Amino acid sequence: MRRGISLIAVMPLIVALLAMPVVQATAVSKVEASGESSSYRNVNLTWELASPAEDGDGFHIIFSESSFSHTGNATIHSTVFTASTDGMAQPAVGEWYDDCQSSSGDDDWAMVFRSENGSAVVPPGTVAIRCDLTGMPVGAEVFLAILPFDSHWISGDLSEVVGATSTAADELPPSADTRPVWFAIGSIALSLVVLLAVLGWKERSAQGRSAMLYVAPALMALALLTFYPVGYGIVLSFTDANQSALGEQSFNGLDNYVEVFTSAGFLRVLGFTLLWTVVNVFAHVGIGLALAMALQGRVKGKVAYRTILLLPWAIPSYITVLIWRGIFQYDGLFNGLLGTQIDILGLPVPAAAAVIVVNIWLGFPFMMMTISGALQTIPGDIYEAAEVDGVSPISQFRHLTLPMLKPTIVPVALLGFIWTFNMFNVIYLMTDGGPNLWFGEPGSTDILITYVYDVAFRRGMYGLAAAWSVVIFLILLWFSATYMKKTNATEAVV
Amino acid sequence: MSDLAIRWFAPLELRILSGMSFLSCALLSVVLLFDYFRGDYDSMAIHGVGMMALMVMILTGIDFTEEGRTRRRDMGLTASGITLACGVIGLAIRGAEYLLVDLWAGLVLLIPGLSGLYLLSTPLVSRWVESTIERAEAEDGLVRNRQLLPKWQAALKHVVLLHVVAVVMIPVLWIIDVAISPGDALQGGAMFSSPTGEHFSNILGGDNFWVWARNSVIVSIGTTLLGLCLAIPAGYAFSRYRFKGRGAMMFTFLLVQMFPGIIILVPYFMVMKSLGLLNTAIGLILAYSVTALPLCVWMLKGFFDTVPKELEEAALLDGCSQFGVFYRIILPLSLPAVAVTGLFSFLVAWNEFLLALTFNTSDDMFTLPVGLASYISATDSAWGDFAAMSLLVAIPVVLLFIVFQKFLIEGLTAGSVKG
Repeated sequence: MRRGISLIAVMPLIVALLAMPVVQATAVSKVEASGESSSYRNVNLTWELASPAEDGDGFHIIFSESSFSHTGNATIHSTVFTASTDGMAQPAVGEWYDDCQSSSGDDDWAMVFRSENGSAVVPPGTVAIRCDLTGMPVGAEVFLAILPFDSHWISGDLSEVVGATSTAADELPPSADTRPVWFAIGSIALSLVVLLAVLGWKERSAQGRSAMLYVAPALMALALLTFYPVGYGIVLSFTDANQSALGEQSFNGLDNYVEVFTSAGFLRVLGFTLLWTVVNVFAHVGIGLALAMALQGRVKGKVAYRTILLLPWAIPSYITVLIWRGIFQYDGLFNGLLGTQIDILGLPVPAAAAVIVVNIWLGFPFMMMTISGALQTIPGDIYEAAEVDGVSPISQFRHLTLPMLKPTIVPVALLGFIWTFNMFNVIYLMTDGGPNLWFGEPGSTDILITYVYDVAFRRGMYGLAAAWSVVIFLILLWFSATYMKKTNATEAVV
Repeated sequence: MSDLAIRWFAPLELRILSGMSFLSCALLSVVLLFDYFRGDYDSMAIHGVGMMALMVMILTGIDFTEEGRTRRRDMGLTASGITLACGVIGLAIRGAEYLLVDLWAGLVLLIPGLSGLYLLSTPLVSRWVESTIERAEAEDGLVRNRQLLPKWQAALKHVVLLHVVAVVMIPVLWIIDVAISPGDALQGGAMFSSPTGEHFSNILGGDNFWVWARNSVIVSIGTTLLGLCLAIPAGYAFSRYRFKGRGAMMFTFLLVQMFPGIIILVPYFMVMKSLGLLNTAIGLILAYSVTALPLCVWMLKGFFDTVPKELEEAALLDGCSQFGVFYRIILPLSLPAVAVTGLFSFLVAWNEFLLALTFNTSDDMFTLPVGLASYISATDSAWGDFAAMSLLVAIPVVLLFIVFQKFLIEGLTAGSVKG
């Protein structure tokens, strides 16, 4: 837990934020950033204060990959407090992901102090602070700003946003050795050939032998490009592989798993993932069922309706998600139609509602079409019989339609569950997990897989990300097994 | 007999009113949500009262017991009046500044309000309420109910469907509007006023679009070819031959489809990195053809199953080799099916985002999805160019999908559901 801010560290911060009396905090007078810093993925940020800092002042360092005018879509990288530094440790350069130094004038820079929970603390009287921030996006321009404590947290306007480009790009260290990979690929291919040869040799008929030849290419591809990576991922999850030490990783036991389960955001991101998945699947099945029923029988303009209702499925999802992002912008269509001024994607609850609505919009046509197909196989005469017997439409639905649809809905709902659980595009393209992104932690709308993406490709911690992936896989496996047992869906699937 | 007809008969008007009010209630909950967003608590109170009145109207229409019919009718009439009044007041509050959504909210209340007043005061309903209905009239009424009911149900269906159609079409129309409007304005104002082709000429005149489109075409066609080469023999073997391990292998193909992509993503990335396949087309082609493989195998197996086995047996008797049968008879016969499967893997590759984002990070190797996303995510602006480009990308895909929807959906559901 050296990297990232632990929950214990964040809680007092949040409390402090909420309980902060309205004091006139020291204003920031000048901010400078440069990407030409000493090391990998780093950006340097220096800011000067209009007057010497007083006890209780504090500053958030926030950054974003897009230029921003308010804090809604920014990530808090770290926080610097002003307080008495008596008895606090003063760690050396390189021990923290935000190496900060402070100056109380005359260019005499000293390392910041660290409180017990790891927050950076500078003494009162400080007039300038500079930080070396790690973990910045690679090779792209990042925008940084300083947010004093008394500014409004979500919609606080920023006086000055500066841009910088981190210098070091992801590059494979020269020592990386491709031999283990080729060895693994070769041995898998060889053992598969042997297995098929043995199976074919045991086979009596010529047919069976040629069948082995026919399935071999597909099986080979599956083994090399699916099963091998899965196995490799499991191995990886027990190592400390990361961006700067690729190919030189060493085993570190269960450390990654410990970090996954003790990380600050684990329960929160799991909770939101479940909420996201359950709401979506219920809405997909419910709306799909309702529309399939509405389109059943003779309806004028049925073909036109079906074609239009298929559009959310037919249009590539990355396009529609970006369109919806435009609609939910501050100056977008939603606010325009309603005459409101809500920063939907910048507030936690509206942003969560928005991503869920968009995914419901995307997913219902699939359910509609599958249920529609199943409805067509129900013979019409049982309804006639029911009508003669005076069964009300509601009872017909409950006791005839639903049981007949069950063999279709049960496996499709499971499929929908897995798909929604892994729906990366919507969250990544709409909010990128924000708002309230703290460095190294999931944001308000992060689901497990968008967070794993962040861990792997923003923070560059491959081993940790692999451990998260294994945990996700186990959750899905456990859920699917329980679901199938509970619904006896196995015979419908296989 | 006479009693029976009278006892069974209840005017259809009541059920219509009930259904209509139910629908309005559901729509009104959305209206209330919008009021809340706007912080317009006066309208919210008015609409809340309207919603309660609508609930009374729902109840009026589903209780047919003889006692208290008059009282229920009167309650229904009062509720209709209140609903109507709420609709009018709601519109009046907004005054001249009303928006489209206010008009819609008003109609949601006005239509059931007016219909309630009319339907509950027709002569037939009055006589039924007062229990002075004649036997012949009741019998006629039963016939009439039976004839009219489907029409009314259809009308309500259309209202529901039209609302869904509106929700589906709003983003589509909006993006067309943004694409042909000058500048990057998002709200647009009047739709489709002052159309311009500037964004389209920006996109078609620039280099990015053509580079990304070329990458996408290479990757998608490569995926289709490689995927088919792998899937056709396997699908054929599963369809025609019985051999050891067949069940286990087929189950494996089904299982892989359920694998979450994320568990593969990180190790995939590292393997591709080690082999130097990042920022190449080959890396993506390999990854995509395996992603689509299980479903393609299952789709093709289903199609091959429909080719009669007798044809092959005849050919074998005539001295054709095993491979000759497959190549000369089965393949030509199932060419349409192979084409649909190919289209499916083409679409998978054309639309994939996550792997393309992870593997190809330099912008001259972007595929269209990643390139398109980079237009927006960098600056949150350039909406006009983005809109034009998404239309150029989406229209061919949507047309293909709609033309071949029947086959695609059949194949897809065959693979995913029936197994």
